[in-house]
Amino acid sequence: MTRTSTLALTLALAVGIAFAQPNYGGVLRAGMQTDPVGLDPHITNATATRNMLENTYDTLVMFNASLELVPGLAESWSASDDGLQWTFNLRDATFHDGSPVTADDVVFSIERIKDPATASPRSGNFAVVESIEATDARTVVMTLSEPFTPLLSFLAMSLNVIVPQHVVEEHGNLQNVVVGSGPFAFVEYLPQTRLVLERFADYWGVDADGNALPYLEGITFTFYPDPTARTTAIQTGNVDWVEYVPAADVTILQADPSVEVVGGLSANYRSLQFNVAEAPFDDVRVRQAFAYAIDARSVIELALFGTGGVLAEGTTVPAGNFYAIDESPYAERDVERARELLAEAGYADGFTFDFYITSTYDFLRDPAEVIQSNLAEIGVTANIVMEDWTIYLPTVQASDYQVTLLGSSGQTDPDAFLYTPFFSTSNNNYHNFVDERVDELLLAGRREPDPDARREIYVEVQERILELAPHVFLFHSAQYSAHRPNVEGFEHFPNTSYLGFRTTWLAN
Amino acid sequence: MLVFLGRRIVLTVPSLLGVAVIVFLLMRFIPGDVVTGLVGDAQDISPERLAELRRMFGLDLPVHVQFGQWITAALQGDLGSSIRTGRSVALDLSLRFPVTLQLTTMSLLIALALAFPIGVMAARYRGRWPDYLGSAFVLIGLSIPNFFLGILLILLFSLQLGWLPPAGYVPFAESPVENLRRMVLPSLSLGLILAAATARIMRSTMLEVLGRDYVRTARAKGLTERTVTLRHALRNALIPVVTVVGLQFGSLLGGAVIIEQVFSLPGIGRYALEGINLRDYPMVQGAVLVIAAAFVLVNLLVDVIYALIDPRVRYG
Repeated sequence: MTRTSTLALTLALAVGIAFAQPNYGGVLRAGMQTDPVGLDPHITNATATRNMLENTYDTLVMFNASLELVPGLAESWSASDDGLQWTFNLRDATFHDGSPVTADDVVFSIERIKDPATASPRSGNFAVVESIEATDARTVVMTLSEPFTPLLSFLAMSLNVIVPQHVVEEHGNLQNVVVGSGPFAFVEYLPQTRLVLERFADYWGVDADGNALPYLEGITFTFYPDPTARTTAIQTGNVDWVEYVPAADVTILQADPSVEVVGGLSANYRSLQFNVAEAPFDDVRVRQAFAYAIDARSVIELALFGTGGVLAEGTTVPAGNFYAIDESPYAERDVERARELLAEAGYADGFTFDFYITSTYDFLRDPAEVIQSNLAEIGVTANIVMEDWTIYLPTVQASDYQVTLLGSSGQTDPDAFLYTPFFSTSNNNYHNFVDERVDELLLAGRREPDPDARREIYVEVQERILELAPHVFLFHSAQYSAHRPNVEGFEHFPNTSYLGFRTTWLAN
Repeated sequence: MLVFLGRRIVLTVPSLLGVAVIVFLLMRFIPGDVVTGLVGDAQDISPERLAELRRMFGLDLPVHVQFGQWITAALQGDLGSSIRTGRSVALDLSLRFPVTLQLTTMSLLIALALAFPIGVMAARYRGRWPDYLGSAFVLIGLSIPNFFLGILLILLFSLQLGWLPPAGYVPFAESPVENLRRMVLPSLSLGLILAAATARIMRSTMLEVLGRDYVRTARAKGLTERTVTLRHALRNALIPVVTVVGLQFGSLLGGAVIIEQVFSLPGIGRYALEGINLRDYPMVQGAVLVIAAAFVLVNLLVDVIYALIDPRVRYG
């Protein structure tokens, strides 16, 4: 394409976007990978349940596509100066059965998640909430046992939704009934066949111009566990939108004029992780040598088809996040420096170690061979040991490994990215990493309400972690969806969220 | 005949019980449990909390106590409910059974419709081009895995030609046409492979029968080759074919697990697979029990068909 025509196209697109008026009506046919794992949002952690139901329910506060906190059912909120008391002012909202959303429903919902009898995997999210009460029909006050800034991101997690108390009390749980206050109301669910939603006319949300949301008349989810069937379904127009385009198919679909691919960075990290209690990985120089020797760019090119991951420029926090850093001493591969560090540590002739990985996920398995050949260049022999996820994960969590490839996903707050893996007594710190300064800073980050001051804290944490190198940060997995050209307004959320359906519309 | 049937039905009870015990134990031997799946990969959750969750699902009880509870309920027709979704297993299985039944029946019909003519023609024109063509079909059919054939069919009929949807399911009661449009490709994927296996048996037993004395007699009487083949030889050649088809029904159910996954059909196979992935014990136990019962029933049916096609077979 010539430069002029590129320019013309860009202009045409810009004009098109500026003038495109959202259309009301139409049912979006969405092709999903799997069924929801149960319909009760409070007792599952499944992304599938979250993605299909997050538009039927509402949370107190929400993330937008840039992962900034915006009002949800709470129109506004404030914290006391000591950070212990949080007050939420509710908006005027209606559940799908016509009853109003009250402060009592909010109290009930948070208490239901906390209650051990509910068996919610996220009961720990609100462990710091000592008490929660409705001071009037529209006001909720939470009292915390300690200042805890990440509270808002837990409240925005779209499975921690507000449910109607009377419906839960009538049905016992929410596995067979979905009554939320979100833009779409639940119609029916036929397992492994379809899940149907329809527009809720009394939804409170409006777009930037004040038009009522949502635009779509409904969404019908169908399930395509096989990736070839899913890719074919969007190419043939049997569905309007599909999730989880496999990395290998991204370039194929990008070349297809009848399909548009949306996506990219997702909130997660994948890294090489040392058990720092085990020699020789108790020596920081050995860990730094690995960090210098491993070429994360070639991992993405060779193991992830160039599309499956985005380079980790700093640590666990992906680029674009307010708390991310993009300066790493290991940004450029330096084999010489790696050899020097190994020699200093007393391993001039290299050594052999067991590289324990899982065979279950390609993005945690395929990079191992690239890393193996990277390390061979500094005389280190990686002996790859592979096991099924169900055996692998408990073994790693019991710290019974030397070096592994692992990561975690779904975070939004820096606390989840950094405290969970690196705080000395965190349940997920299976790498035995202990550093007093990191602990101090991580606790300070939990207490600090001001974003700028908080950012300074987390920048220092990340610089210190890079220096001590308990992980070699490799990449952040990318996530892609694809849609037909007439699907407009669907925004990619980097936290695996499909709140983008709230503003999606179908062009004629 | 009735005595025979009664005895066979009584004998199915220990078979099904055996299947129930084995599945129950196997599910508990594979690593990981429903709590591991429930919590997912990313959570900051303490070992104490995990133990508490296991206790809530009754997973801390000794295996024989768990089995006792389950089998007692199952004998009363209560297959329990899914741990992950809370849905009744018996109800879900009753929704899924028709899908798998339709898939296997259509596959079987396709298989027989192809295998009979191919096998008979190959035997009748032994060593000539219909035989070679038949052998080529059998060889390809037996070597290609059904999921791979399924994907090839999707790429050809959906992506290239655009004739049929690639996957998905519409209940027959809702729209018979849309239902059939979605069931053709999966039934072909399963049926073509069964057709190959059946055609091979059909050809060899036809060859054997065509060499028998009574066939020579029939020919000597001056009957046309067509009458000899279809009226005299075919009926006797059917007995081993029925046996093979009966046994192949088991592999058809096994193949349905994979084909239902490839074509997104809400059948029993996919239900069982989902149960295994989630380590949702009641789902898997219920599904396998139903599949085993179907298999046992089909074999019973095969025995009855014997008696119908071969008057010499008498059960005492």
